[in-house]
Amino acid sequence: MLVASPWRSAARTDPGKVRARNEDAFLDCPQQGLWVVADGMGGHQGGDIASQLIVASLAELPVQDDFDERLKGIRQCLHWLNRRLGQELTVTAGRHDSIMGSTVVALLVEGNRAACIWAGDSRCYLWRDQRLYQLSKDHSLQQQLIDEQNMSVEDARAHPAAHALTRAVGAAEQLTLDVLELEVYPGDAFLLCSDGLYQGLSSDALGNALSLTAPHVALERLFDGALRGSARDNLTAVVIRQ
Amino acid sequence: MTEFMPLIDDLLVTEEEANNLTYFAFAKPLNGKPLNGKPHKAEPALAPTKASVGVLPDVLAGRYRIERLLGAGGMGAVYRARDLLSEQFGDPDPYIALKILSEEFAESPDASALLYSEFALTRRLRHDNVLRPHTFEVDTDCQRAFITMELMRGLTLDKLLCERPLGLPWKELRDIALPLLDALAYAHARGVLHGDIKPSNVMLSEEGVRLFDFGLGQAGEGILPGLPHLSRNRFNAWTPGYAAPELLEGQTLSASADVYGVACVIYELAGGKHPFRRLPSTEARAGYLDRELHPPKNLPKHCWPALHKALAFDAADRTITAAQLRDAMGATSSWLQRLRLRA
Repeated sequence: MLVASPWRSAARTDPGKVRARNEDAFLDCPQQGLWVVADGMGGHQGGDIASQLIVASLAELPVQDDFDERLKGIRQCLHWLNRRLGQELTVTAGRHDSIMGSTVVALLVEGNRAACIWAGDSRCYLWRDQRLYQLSKDHSLQQQLIDEQNMSVEDARAHPAAHALTRAVGAAEQLTLDVLELEVYPGDAFLLCSDGLYQGLSSDALGNALSLTAPHVALERLFDGALRGSARDNLTAVVIRQ
Repeated sequence: MTEFMPLIDDLLVTEEEANNLTYFAFAKPLNGKPLNGKPHKAEPALAPTKASVGVLPDVLAGRYRIERLLGAGGMGAVYRARDLLSEQFGDPDPYIALKILSEEFAESPDASALLYSEFALTRRLRHDNVLRPHTFEVDTDCQRAFITMELMRGLTLDKLLCERPLGLPWKELRDIALPLLDALAYAHARGVLHGDIKPSNVMLSEEGVRLFDFGLGQAGEGILPGLPHLSRNRFNAWTPGYAAPELLEGQTLSASADVYGVACVIYELAGGKHPFRRLPSTEARAGYLDRELHPPKNLPKHCWPALHKALAFDAADRTITAAQLRDAMGATSSWLQRLRLRA
């Protein structure tokens, strides 16, 4: 039923060293040219459900021939999930923490076309010609301070709420998704990951891992590095290459 | 995660009522080995995904293999599962939906009793447009209660609304509104209140419209005595955009509150827009939003007086039942002129 995919990928998630629960989820589906990382939020309730629902829903989207239709399907699905996790959610009186949401970063690839769709601070990186590019731009307060108040990266990072998200699935009535379309070159490698992974690693470390040819070896290198640090958050990564 | 526990202990109002609570004993684990079997019907192949939802096992009660998350509610989650026993007997469609309490509620007998109550309420309803429950069970290993029910394939109305942001033409709208109102009128006639009518609790399935999730439902006076009654004095839950003002103010659930919710859903389906800009009804009332309420574009004129009445903020003004709303929506305009709603 499934045609051989020119893409190889490997994915892994780990609760880290501090958190008891893992609220991250991933989709690793090279046959469909679709990969996703979602990082659930909501503290003690529903974060894992939110990220899992995103991944399960995207996994069941029909595989169509038309790239644009597939991209539209992904966007439409995420907008529906935004409604489902937001305005359709049953809330309990006196509980102001009954919020259910998740970041999402998805990569859709077909032929030489690729699209990265995201909301929140989970990231998509591209390794091309021995250089690392961050394709997604975080929807976080830190990024907003840098963009809108011309704050330096160091100052923005020092802000007490630097990691607060400015966008996520389920967070607001209207979800605005960012979409970046690009042409795929031979030798390209992609990395989708949650903040728990990239917070603990330098860009050099990310680049060094992505320069390895086997996705599972690259993945192992990334996790070895991140788990040597404090690993206070859940960490998830998907490495994709031709 | 522990914050909610005291609240659960208070789910029941009084001690007298607590005496009515049916506690069930957890039986000893039987043979925990799952049955083996091959799927007969090809559901979409599972892509490798990984996430943690507590310690939910792969197979529940030695019989139901959890396949994917379908949805999540206030207290539990719904999964698609494969009934390995039916499968072993060659059932061509061994798939079911399975609702299980979330991990944080799993240890509370009260929460399990509420889940049973949902099962008992739904089982009381035998209607083509109400989801059919199968069984209430307990997995003895992980000590969690769950309900199995028919697996619906189709679109929930919230998804439909995302795909059709401008609303539905009248014929399509009528084909959803009438069975939905019929299901609600039937439930009310059987003494069952829903308590959480909203687009995501209505499925447009391959086999027609289905109303589901009676998790916040309640039986009327004298119906199903002995079942624990969810007390809204202590445990009040709702969906802000679809709950009537009196519910948000802590009053008891009534059929009229269900009518408000279903009217919001029908209004939204007709024009793609929520009647009161998605605000909780109490806020909408404070802003006098009912004064600027217009009939939705795709709704025939003769339906509007009834729907308008169903959207009244004041329960005393909402003098229309689900059955009357159904009759008004189902009437053809010619004889509708003769139809008068009771004031």
